Amino acid sequence: MQATELYGRQLVLTPLAAKELPAETQKLEALHVTAQQLQCQRCGSLLDRQLAQLPRHQFYCYACITLGRVSTLTSLYHISEPNDFPKKGELTWQGQLTAQQAACATMIRHQFEAHQRQLLWAVTGAGKTEMLFPGLAWALAQGWRVAIASPRVDVCLELYPRLQAAFSNLEIALLHGHQTDPYRYCQLTICTTHQLLRFREAFDVLIVDEVDAFPFAANPRLGHAVEQALKPVSALLYLTATPSQDLLRQVRRHELGLSYLPLRFHQQLLPTIKVTLQARWWAKLKVGCLPRPLRRWLADYANRGQRFLIFVPRVAQLAVVQAAVQQAYPELKGLTVHATDPERLAKVQAMRASNVQYLITTTILERGVTLPGIDVIVLGADDPIFSTAALVQIAGRVGRSSERPTGLVRFICQSYARPVKRAIRQIKLVNRKGRRLRASMPVVSPLD
Amino acid sequence: MPACLLCHRSTEPKISLPWILSWQPLQQPVVCQACWETFTPIFSSQACIGCGRAQTQRSLCHDCQRWAPMAFDNRALFTYNEAMQAYFEQYKFKGDYRLRQVFRAVLTAKLVSIQADFIVPIPVTPDTMITRGFNQVTGWLNDGENLSWLRTTDAAKPIPQSHKTRQDRLLTAQPFELSPDAPDLRTKTVLLIDDVYTTGRTIRHAAILILENGAKSVIGITLAR
Repeated sequence: MQATELYGRQLVLTPLAAKELPAETQKLEALHVTAQQLQCQRCGSLLDRQLAQLPRHQFYCYACITLGRVSTLTSLYHISEPNDFPKKGELTWQGQLTAQQAACATMIRHQFEAHQRQLLWAVTGAGKTEMLFPGLAWALAQGWRVAIASPRVDVCLELYPRLQAAFSNLEIALLHGHQTDPYRYCQLTICTTHQLLRFREAFDVLIVDEVDAFPFAANPRLGHAVEQALKPVSALLYLTATPSQDLLRQVRRHELGLSYLPLRFHQQLLPTIKVTLQARWWAKLKVGCLPRPLRRWLADYANRGQRFLIFVPRVAQLAVVQAAVQQAYPELKGLTVHATDPERLAKVQAMRASNVQYLITTTILERGVTLPGIDVIVLGADDPIFSTAALVQIAGRVGRSSERPTGLVRFICQSYARPVKRAIRQIKLVNRKGRRLRASMPVVSPLD
Repeated sequence: MPACLLCHRSTEPKISLPWILSWQPLQQPVVCQACWETFTPIFSSQACIGCGRAQTQRSLCHDCQRWAPMAFDNRALFTYNEAMQAYFEQYKFKGDYRLRQVFRAVLTAKLVSIQADFIVPIPVTPDTMITRGFNQVTGWLNDGENLSWLRTTDAAKPIPQSHKTRQDRLLTAQPFELSPDAPDLRTKTVLLIDDVYTTGRTIRHAAILILENGAKSVIGITLAR
């Protein structure tokens, strides 16, 4: 094994596999076993002794087993990060930031310099990635090791080509669960948050994109992974459009700095949510009958050729809804997409290329996808599966292009559930801030 | 809330009036109904009498007709399908020892129904014991230990069976030997237990060894076929 493979990493190896390692390799305990408790040293989980038991008084970690099993039969191997990067990457991106984007970007750079932790609350479609470029370029020029992590593979896959284009001379490593390429030691790493569990004290700057997304928010192991992957002196940046209560609490306790961007790059406000109450919409759809408002909207879309997304709570409902729509409006052409769909990427691509007019989907398309000029309909928005963050993100799919900066977001639900109300309130709050910011700005078009 | 071991969704225990009146502790299912139904059970009335494979009638399948006849027959509990493959991937190769609970009950129930003098699990190599940490067969039966008077020879398994083609598997040499403390097998019936019957090479090697040492007959039980 090459030394570079272990720089700033913690890899699980059995004694057999660990025979030929570089001399400077540190061997760390994989599971910490005491009489009272059992803690995995990779993911930090406290384990149930009975569940973690192996024969012969050995133990294993069942919490992070998908990344390869940590057990008392193995050890973690680590070489401390030397920041050994030959060539410094330069920013080759030629684009322009808007005034507020530039202000945010400068703030991000200063926070990196000061090794601070912060949260950037930027609305959906604000151009978060571009705002990172100046800060990233600065950090890379210092010879720092930088990572951008996201809970979602799709986000990583979308970020990678954009960053590769912005830093065209820089080698970038892309790590995720389905990756087949071998690991490369690079100054800039893009990875899923799960992959951070394989790093130890590696990064000077760590950026976590979509920090409120599943599974990061629900999984304390991933929070541990972030802490462990950071060097003792380092900068951490969380990016989100929908911060959780927990993150905002950290801001109030001054554990996190907060910067704000309530306007989209085209200076327009977010489309607001329109709720239509419809009792027993699912019972009607199940027998192939479209609820009357939905029928009206679809007729309009069929007329104008307007493209749209329909979100439903469950995978099993996809086919039913599609059949009903097909039957009522055979001229509309569309597809269904869900998380385990093997043709998922191809179908989204078909939508992007305007080959189909609509997609019916579950929450998987709630974030990370930009389909210009679409409208959105959410069926059963009061279902517990839609969190406040998910609803705000879904609403944020609309009006993302400067050609069509507005659009319609419509919810059909049986009742005003709490997440629905909170989502409406959050969009209104952000729009209020955005309006104020726009009023304080000098009157210039963003395009000149 | 307890979660299904396979899909990690929470399982709702069924609370019924008879259960409340029975005054018994709640029996928690370890896997949810939906996951359990992905496994296909094999009924002995519709299986090959040689290897236990599911087929339409109770006869010898074309693979078994090619083996030399001997006092051995195998019975399998489930068809080796995608769900079973995923299960073995997680349990055996990833080493998630908790998953032994999934088939523990059905396998022990099956063993009780069969009359035999000795129950012998197929052993794993000492190397596997170091890396995997348990014997997948004894994991279902009792404690996952690898102690049996049937043991692997030192030359066994430089390449795992699962990495070989059918031809290579059939050419595998005898990987087992009896330890000196083996009991007297003459006129005895031995029950061999293994995880998967694929070509039958492994379990038949073990059966041949036991029959050569004087056993009357050998019955094989495998979880999957």
